[in-house]
Amino acid sequence: MFRFLIKRLVEIIPILIVVSILIFLFVHMIPGDPARLVAGPDATIEDVELVSKELGLDKPLVEQYITYMGNLLKGDLGTSLKTNRPVAEEIGARFMPTFWLTLWSMVWATIAGLIIGVISATKRNKWPDYLGMFGAVSGLSLPAFWLGLMLIQLFAVTLGWFPTGGLESWKSYVLPAFTLGTGVAAVIARFTRSALMDVLKEDYVRTARSKGLKEKNVIWGHSLRNAMIPVVTMTGLQFGFLLGGSVVIETVFSWPGLGKLLIDSVAFRDYPVIQAEMLIFALEFIIINLIVDLLYGILNPQIRYE
Amino acid sequence: MKRSYALLLSLVLLLVLALAACSSDSKDEADGGGKEQEQATKEGSDIVVAVASTLTSMDPHDTNDTLSGSVQRTIFEGLLGFDEEMNVVPMLAKEYSANDEATEFTFILNEGIKFHDGTPFNAEAVKVNFDRLADPDSGLKRHSLYSLIANTEVVSEYEVKFTLSEPFGAMINTFAHPAGLIHSPKALEEFGKDVATNPVGTGQFKFVEWKPGEGLEVTKNEDYRIEDQPKVDGITFKPVTENGSRIAMLQTGEADFIYPVPTEQADSIDGENGIEVDSKPSIVVRYMTMNTLKEPYDDLKVRQALDLAVDKEAFIEVVTNGHASVLDSIIAPAVQYYSKQETTKPDIEKAKSLLKEAGLEDGFKAKIWGANNSSAMKAMQFLQQQFAQINVEVEVVPMEAGTLSDKIWSVQDPKDAEIEMYYGGWSPSTGDADWGIRPLLGGAENFPPKSYNVSYYDNPEVNGLIAEALETADSDKRAEAYEKAQSLLWDDLPWISLSAENTISGKKNYLTGIYLLPDGSLDVRNLEIKK
Repeated sequence: MFRFLIKRLVEIIPILIVVSILIFLFVHMIPGDPARLVAGPDATIEDVELVSKELGLDKPLVEQYITYMGNLLKGDLGTSLKTNRPVAEEIGARFMPTFWLTLWSMVWATIAGLIIGVISATKRNKWPDYLGMFGAVSGLSLPAFWLGLMLIQLFAVTLGWFPTGGLESWKSYVLPAFTLGTGVAAVIARFTRSALMDVLKEDYVRTARSKGLKEKNVIWGHSLRNAMIPVVTMTGLQFGFLLGGSVVIETVFSWPGLGKLLIDSVAFRDYPVIQAEMLIFALEFIIINLIVDLLYGILNPQIRYE
Repeated sequence: MKRSYALLLSLVLLLVLALAACSSDSKDEADGGGKEQEQATKEGSDIVVAVASTLTSMDPHDTNDTLSGSVQRTIFEGLLGFDEEMNVVPMLAKEYSANDEATEFTFILNEGIKFHDGTPFNAEAVKVNFDRLADPDSGLKRHSLYSLIANTEVVSEYEVKFTLSEPFGAMINTFAHPAGLIHSPKALEEFGKDVATNPVGTGQFKFVEWKPGEGLEVTKNEDYRIEDQPKVDGITFKPVTENGSRIAMLQTGEADFIYPVPTEQADSIDGENGIEVDSKPSIVVRYMTMNTLKEPYDDLKVRQALDLAVDKEAFIEVVTNGHASVLDSIIAPAVQYYSKQETTKPDIEKAKSLLKEAGLEDGFKAKIWGANNSSAMKAMQFLQQQFAQINVEVEVVPMEAGTLSDKIWSVQDPKDAEIEMYYGGWSPSTGDADWGIRPLLGGAENFPPKSYNVSYYDNPEVNGLIAEALETADSDKRAEAYEKAQSLLWDDLPWISLSAENTISGKKNYLTGIYLLPDGSLDVRNLEIKK
């Protein structure tokens, strides 16, 4: 397993290089001249040219790419076109808020999703199942944007329990984490239900039951562990998506995170920030995938790493 | 039976959500939404201002967004500034004069003022700032506003004289522009480009901290030159992009002042939760341009027909919920040298007959470009519907900002311009007619990619008047030239003037002396908390 880990870690490097090339090309293919956007709505052509020169955007694409890669290898992510601050600083300040928000969302979503899924599977076609699945369908179909605004209206404006947005204390996490986790909890609940129902039909479950094992042990001890493999895969993917994709929630809750930064940067054609953020998202996906693969082995020791 | 339980529960859940959604509406009815309401109270003397986008820079010389400019004005002051009506008023300078040719401008400075870092404010400090702005190698975004300054001379410790390379009658307003705010020369030397994150000025507030994405904090300048000011201890500016969230913050008291307030919600929050909404005329104009080099827009009759087809009053109701006024010149009333023109009533029959005279009685097909935000879309769809009445079939083409700017400004030869109709807006940030007319309609000199003349309008008579107005600092002469230019442009219709927008802000009713200037920037100089 250790060798597997090292091998996978080494593999990340060429993947990241390819990804960085693709990102660079894609970002430069977005229509719109960053110099004009940076220079602002009432800038003259003179201003635009000055800004373009200042940002190095007047140089040929190949030269820009070589500079970009050269800096990247030195660990320099460049300077934001919009704020003139180092990209590492811009991203650094926003990484942790997004990370913690995502983590808390995943924690509650996983717990709630698993419980709802297990109850639904074991009480199949009874009212707890209907209720659980009604909740899951609602969680999937309610637009996160709308849900966030509703929660703000109810819990912040009307009841005054939580702040409307921003990041001040632990209370700030509650509403956005709940909103962000709702969709994930719904997906986990549905996955757990169907995976567990499949497992419950297996022979070894019947054997366990016929041996007189308590139902609780059959479910939690024997079946759930085997049902977890697809659930873990999906949860990992969701985690990756959330880390990069909580854009809407961060906007609704004025969260000082990466999602909001990405939106601002795309609107501004802030190439260095967009590139760095996309690289980070790619890296996050790779790492989460690796963790998911490692978890397989823990859940089912029969799985071998090669 | 069990199914019916689930159904019942689902219904209850839906009801709860629906009630939550309606709660604010039902309150409106109960209180009548009137202006008379209880006085809200405030603990402490620090206020929070929630704004719509993130700040970009604290270097006024390198900033072009009004929002960052607003925050900068709490920290910095300029030689001159604007008052509530956009009139030029003295700030760090107490007097100014110009020669008749508008090439020399002299300022007498206030004495005894210190920057936040203790550096004295004097003519030398002014020179350092304007030398920086006038230097093309500095790469500053606001260089072009001051590129005409050929020389800045320190006449005495409190007197400074600027000499321009050519006459520029609008220069006084340019000195009052937020880009002309003055840095501490010591800070410029010490921080270089990083002055953008370490602002030091002479203003009412001192810079404390700026956390990207979270907000910027300023604190009271105890040594401010005007006694008993400022009256609040500090201000925190928070970027809150989502309109609904900004309003919620004002409702809960997490924010004391927010802007902008979207037109759709302005009336419903006014008079609730101790909130007052302030809707005031701005210098932002909305219009629809027509490419006058292209058929059929090169025919004045066609442009007149299109203009007559649009009901501007209805436009304001539909697009801005009434928070605007009909534009009666090509610049808004608050812009200096504005001259009112006679507006026409919509007349479909006359419009049709004009089209017939132009040989287009069956109408024609057209494309209108504009931004893809909801208000621009609404505006374009409204125009589409209005033009349909005279058989002009318009396709609405909304575009994302970058794509739109590419489409408009990548054109090198005017003949290649694809643009037909364009829905846009303009805010002349100097508050002077020059910046409201010249970049948009000032002849071939200002065709894209150089500037914003997307009507490709080139009228020698108008160009002559614009030049005439720039060659003098005499306000009467300037007013006369701009009056004629506005009248000519009004009759020649290179664009359809639609509305002069309002700025809309919301505040708790314990705040006074905080307002938006017509250019959309925030003024907090007289800010006070009523106890």
